[in-house]
Amino acid sequence: MELRKISIRQAAETVNSGEVTAEGLIEKTLESCSILNEGLNIFTQIAGIDALEQAKAIDRKIEKGEKLPLAGVPVTVKDDLCYGVLPTGFGSPAFKEFFSPYTATAVERLMDAGAIVVGKTNLDDMSMGSTTASSPDGPTINPWDPERTAGSAGAAAVATGICMLALESDSGGALRQGASHCGVIGLRPTAGQVSRYGLNTFCSSFGQVGVTAISGENVITALEVIAGFDERDASTAVCKERAAGAGTAVDTEGLRIGYPAAAFDHLEPGLREVFEQAREQYSAAGFECIDLELPLLPEALQAYYVISLAESSSNHSRFDGIRFGAVEEAGDLEELYSKSRGSILGREARRRSIFGTHLLSQGSYDLYYRQALRVWNLVRREFAAALGQCDLLMLPAAKTLPGRAAAEADFLDAWTEDLFCAPVSLTGLPSLCLPAGQAGKFPVGLQLIGRPFSEGIMAAVCDRMIREIELFPYGIS
Amino acid sequence: MTDAEHGLDKAIRAIKIGVDVSEQEALDRELDRFMKWLKPMLAVDTAETKQVLVSHGVVNVLREDCARQGGLAELQEAAPDFAGGFYLVPPIIE
Repeated sequence: MELRKISIRQAAETVNSGEVTAEGLIEKTLESCSILNEGLNIFTQIAGIDALEQAKAIDRKIEKGEKLPLAGVPVTVKDDLCYGVLPTGFGSPAFKEFFSPYTATAVERLMDAGAIVVGKTNLDDMSMGSTTASSPDGPTINPWDPERTAGSAGAAAVATGICMLALESDSGGALRQGASHCGVIGLRPTAGQVSRYGLNTFCSSFGQVGVTAISGENVITALEVIAGFDERDASTAVCKERAAGAGTAVDTEGLRIGYPAAAFDHLEPGLREVFEQAREQYSAAGFECIDLELPLLPEALQAYYVISLAESSSNHSRFDGIRFGAVEEAGDLEELYSKSRGSILGREARRRSIFGTHLLSQGSYDLYYRQALRVWNLVRREFAAALGQCDLLMLPAAKTLPGRAAAEADFLDAWTEDLFCAPVSLTGLPSLCLPAGQAGKFPVGLQLIGRPFSEGIMAAVCDRMIREIELFPYGIS
Repeated sequence: MTDAEHGLDKAIRAIKIGVDVSEQEALDRELDRFMKWLKPMLAVDTAETKQVLVSHGVVNVLREDCARQGGLAELQEAAPDFAGGFYLVPPIIE
């Protein structure tokens, strides 16, 4: 069974029917994981025996007559999501041996539905970044070019076909940019759709749990499983007032897609043409593409960094060697904090926490932080107004092609890569990244941004365009 | 000392993160660039705009109150022993 050629539902059906055992499927998957991990550095941990035990348990349930929506489906879990069975490293060497006493709600729901966790995937230093370049284990390599980074390890895992689904996090765009760079589908759901309980996010306001897969149908299948109210995450209360998930089947005929042409001026040379061609293809497919403006994108990115850095300063204060993280030997308490924090947080996390503390200090708080909160409001209004004129917005996911794996990017250049993703994070709107075309040998992804809870529409458009453009199969053999 | 350097020193002390001299020098330069990079955001007219603290609507998720019959005796079940109208506490050892 080649995982890239069938849907998650089909894979689960073959396991539920007994045609294939979950154990057999996972055994093969684990072999591929080990082989590909050597070259691509996708995993921080491969589950091995634990995954096989899970698979056997699923087979026993099926023998008893149970039918599971994700029976035997291999998934990867980003290493900032707690999972009691394997160490949860958060992208810090200090947590290499840390076993979380509990499992994140989203992971738990996938497992309850029959999915098998085959490994934890690589991430940036404390999940701060959109490239894996600051990972203490080194970057994940892009399956399309060994010289480049993948953006996200989960996207690389899906692109290579070693798993059907990657559970990931996304604050400023890691999930979406990874999907763009690897040529797969990445969904950041509406804020509050998916519980963040068990997610170690550096910025509470924008961190979300999302999924990456090979089709719109697959991400929606996963979303239906993981979405919904969780009393352990207050933000999921939005699901109390309406049914969680993708909603009913949708007709994509005649949808209007907003195209903010001026925003595309920020792209690296050579990429704009990809989106102009995409616009033509969407028009040819019957969508009405309308011009509109999103002039606040650069300022929205700046506001995102002010707020997220301030929050990282606060969120990371608990990693002090006493409450969490390894303690360093020291002469006094001040030195203990300083040495422990200095070793728990890597270079990028130290930078962001220190800058965040500066932004919250007297003199900066009123000038920068409060202003960022007001700009946040304006950005929300700007996107709401744009979605008043159309059904979906089209934006790039990344400003440039994936970065070189061996080169250390300038911090500000790396942050400005989030220009098209971070502003969307400010709005809480759902965003789905799908392939738009190619620049040279690299896949280039676009984001479709919709109204709250419009994931089903975005996925339907995605699958239709994948068929129309015939860009797939995008996986790497 | 520039504003950025002064601010950085204060921030490092406040958050208690150990950085060596070369890293602190690099952070000085980076903070200066970062603060300059934020200038366009400061220029946005927000005079009539309120601050927000969440990206989406939030509703109260506190569990519903669940009332039941109680009583003094039940409340005092977990209390220390008492005698003569006073709670009994361990003696102070000097």
